[in-house]
This record gives sequence, C-alpha cells and structure tokens, in this order.
Amino acid sequence: MSALLASTRAELLRLRRWPALWVLLGVWITLNLTFVYGFNYIAYRTGDASAVTEGVPPQALLADMLPTAVPQSVIQGMPMFGGAILMILGALSAGSGYGWGTWKTVLTQGPGRVAAFGGTLAALALVVIGVVLATAAIDLGVSSVLAVVESQPLEMPPLGELAEAVGAGLLVLGMWTAAGVLIGVLTKSPALAVGLGLVWALVVENLLRGVSDLLGGMATVSDHLPGTAAGSLVGALGARGEAEGDGTPGVLTVLDGGTATWLLAAYLVAFAVVGLMLVRRRDLA
Amino acid sequence: MVRSRRTVLDDVSFRVPRGSLTGMLGPSGCGKTTLMRAIVGVQRLARGRVSVLGLAAGSAPLRHRLGYVTQAPSVYGDLTVRQNLRYFADVLGAPRCDVERVITQVGLDDHADVLTARLSGGQRSRASLATALLGRPELLVLDEPTVGLDPVLRRDLWDLFARMAASGVTLLVSSHVMDEARRCERLLLLREGRLIADDTPGELLAATGTSDVEQAFLRIVEQGAS
Repeated sequence: MSALLASTRAELLRLRRWPALWVLLGVWITLNLTFVYGFNYIAYRTGDASAVTEGVPPQALLADMLPTAVPQSVIQGMPMFGGAILMILGALSAGSGYGWGTWKTVLTQGPGRVAAFGGTLAALALVVIGVVLATAAIDLGVSSVLAVVESQPLEMPPLGELAEAVGAGLLVLGMWTAAGVLIGVLTKSPALAVGLGLVWALVVENLLRGVSDLLGGMATVSDHLPGTAAGSLVGALGARGEAEGDGTPGVLTVLDGGTATWLLAAYLVAFAVVGLMLVRRRDLA
Repeated sequence: MVRSRRTVLDDVSFRVPRGSLTGMLGPSGCGKTTLMRAIVGVQRLARGRVSVLGLAAGSAPLRHRLGYVTQAPSVYGDLTVRQNLRYFADVLGAPRCDVERVITQVGLDDHADVLTARLSGGQRSRASLATALLGRPELLVLDEPTVGLDPVLRRDLWDLFARMAASGVTLLVSSHVMDEARRCERLLLLREGRLIADDTPGELLAATGTSDVEQAFLRIVEQGAS
C-alpha cells in the first residue's frame, strides 16, 4: 500500500508540474463556459438566433443558464468534448512514459509494476475528481452571477440532482481517461495514442452509429459502445441530446440510465485491468 | 539469451565482486545491453541463471537496491531536471534531500531548473544518470553513461564511479570506447555474444603482451580465429 501511495504521490507531482495538464484543463473549462454560458447569454441578450441556440426561446435559454440547470449543464459537454480532452490526458500520461523512456526506470527500480501503474491510475482519478468538482463549482458560480445580474431568484439545484450529476461526470470522464491510458499503453506512443483515441471517440463511434441501421446486428454493437453509454447516461439525467436538434453533440437517449451506468463502470474497470495486464507482461524495451 | 528470435548471448558466465568498478566492453551489437537487461531482471533467459546480490535477478527485494541507466536518457523532457529528480525520488522511495546531492554529483547545478528537453544530449544523459544515483543503490548498472560527453565530464564521472566503488557500491559500466577500460578495476570483454575475457586490465595486458586494451581485444580475437 505504501508503494502505491508513493507512486500516486510521484505521479501527482509530475501531473502538477506538467504544462499539458493545465492546458487541457483550461481548454475544457473554456469550452464549458463558452458553450453553456457564453453563446447562450449573448443570444439571450441580443435575441440573435445563432446556430447554437436556433429555435430556443429566450426564456428557455435563460433557464438553462440558472443554477437550477447546473446538474445538466455541468455534464452535457462531457460525453464528447470533456471525454475527448480527458482521453488525451490519459493517453499522454501513459504514452509519454514510453516516449521519454521513463517507464523503464520506474518499472525496473520502482515499487513494482502493479503499484507503479496503479499510482498513475490513482493520480489520474484524483485529477478527474478535481475536474468534475471544479466544473460544478465554476458553473454554480457563473450561473449564480447570471441569476443576480438578470434579477432571477437565486435558487440552488437539489443536492441529490447535483450529486447524481457529479457521479455521472466522474464515471464518464473516468471511463474516457482510462480508455486514453489503455491506448497509451497499447501504442507506447503519446502522439499515436492521442490520434487514435480521438479518431475513435469523435469519428468511428459516430460512423458505427450511422451505419447501424444498414447492417443487421450492428445496432446492438453501436448501442453498447463507450461513447453511447456516456452519452446515454448524461441524456438520462436530463441534458438535451443530439436528437432534439438544439441539444449537445454526444448526448444520447439510446440506453436507460441504469444500463448506461453499469456499462460505463464495466468499461472503466476493463480498460484499467487490460492496461495493467499489458504493463505487467510486456517487455520494457 | 534470445531477443527477436536471435541468440544474442551464449555461454556467458562471470562473477562481479562487490564494491568493484567493472567495465563491460565490446563493439556495438555484441550483447552488452542484453546482458545488462538480464542483470536488472527485464530480460527473459532461454537458459541459465543470473544472481544479483545473492538473489535471482529481477526479484522484488532487489528493486530498491539497484540503479539502472539505459543508453537512451529516461527523463521527462517537459519537466526540469529538479522536477524529474523529485518525481523519481518519490517513485523510488528516496529522500528528497538526495535530489540536490545527485544534481551536484552529475554537475548539473547550473541547469537544475531547465526543462530537460532543452538540454544537450550529454546533459540529458547526466540527468538520467542522476536518477540512478538517488537513494543508496548497492549495484549500479550503467549502459554507456559517458557517450557524447566531453573529456572533462567523462573524467569527472569516472572519478565519481571510482569513489562510489571505494565506498562499497558495485558498478557495472558498459562502453564501446576501449580507452575507458583503464579506469576499471575489472574488465569483461564481449564479442558477438560471447565473453572473450574476464580479467583486471593489468593482467589482461600482461596475458596478451599488449600495451592497451584495444590491442588486447584484437589479440584475443586473432588468437580465437587461429
């Protein structure tokens, strides 16, 4: 256990000092603020019908920006954008160890392969928790300011709904981060891992969903892909999905919330376990 | 030992005394790196046994007792030298105060806060070497640690290795530069996957009737061919 803690501490030190982490987190927070509040607020104030807000009445736009909508707004971008960003983080984190050759030293002299890899996963898990909580806190802060500015009642969302959203966010971003780590371990290259991960998350899953009606049995596969599960969980918690026209890309209503939750948990565990097995068994060269 | 279905090392047997500075010399591709990998426990053996500090190579209790530096530097390019060493100190369970000690030992005091990606090749190699000096390793396995270094730095590092050996640390240092052999207490000469000599430099020169290790290496090869 002390070995795992030492590895976790070391990985946290590395991540904290790593410019890539802060760049990625900055991009995520900026995207979240821009798409949830920035464009919507401009459209609300000016009455413009932008591509993002087309067809949505101003009062509905405002309602989506108030604190009571935070449980939905905090997670709506996670299945696609947040997931892609955290997958990049996972892929870079695992892949750069191979790219710079540092895994060789760690796995030769360090606390053992399980503890070393476990430390990486634990440190990334703490980052994911921090990202989700920070996103929720920032969204609550911004929405509260908007409520005051727009003379709306400062009503907070039910704690249970907020907790559900945070839990869903942890599961969605945790799953994508673990997927990134696995791809990083598989490819042993940060650049290739990031490229392949993004192609899978942003292109391949969408293509498979697109052709699922054409090929018998394909729908069953595409309905249970990681991205489908992530989008379905967020959709089940009330975020507006792709099907509604003005919804967020990546948010789906294919699976019910329970199925999506179990599937996400299974993917998360499977990605971590397969990554661990590969790290344990593979040659360090 | 077999790598990529090719026999890299065959019928190799030797003992390295504790607290000695042993040089492993031979041309590129002779099997030095594979032998070192076997000693640190990351190379599967087709046959035979490797025992390190009385334990089977690669066994868990050995992890904190040895330091290993690969040919290619293994430090994060997007962290500074000091940040890298703090990271490795945490991973390896070495005290944080070791960081400043090893930075000085490898002569990187002036570059401690520079990103390692911005260092020269030789400086990066020294940063990588510093990670192996963290803690108090009983055995240091160094794969060509002086490649690309200027003569003054090479001399300083070999002096450091000698001091460490004098303090009881066992060092196994590979090089393809025969000139570095005179700095070692013992020499292992490798060629085409076979150990062709295991002796002190003085005895090796006396036995071959030559004046330097390169000549001795050639004499042994010629004797083997005739």
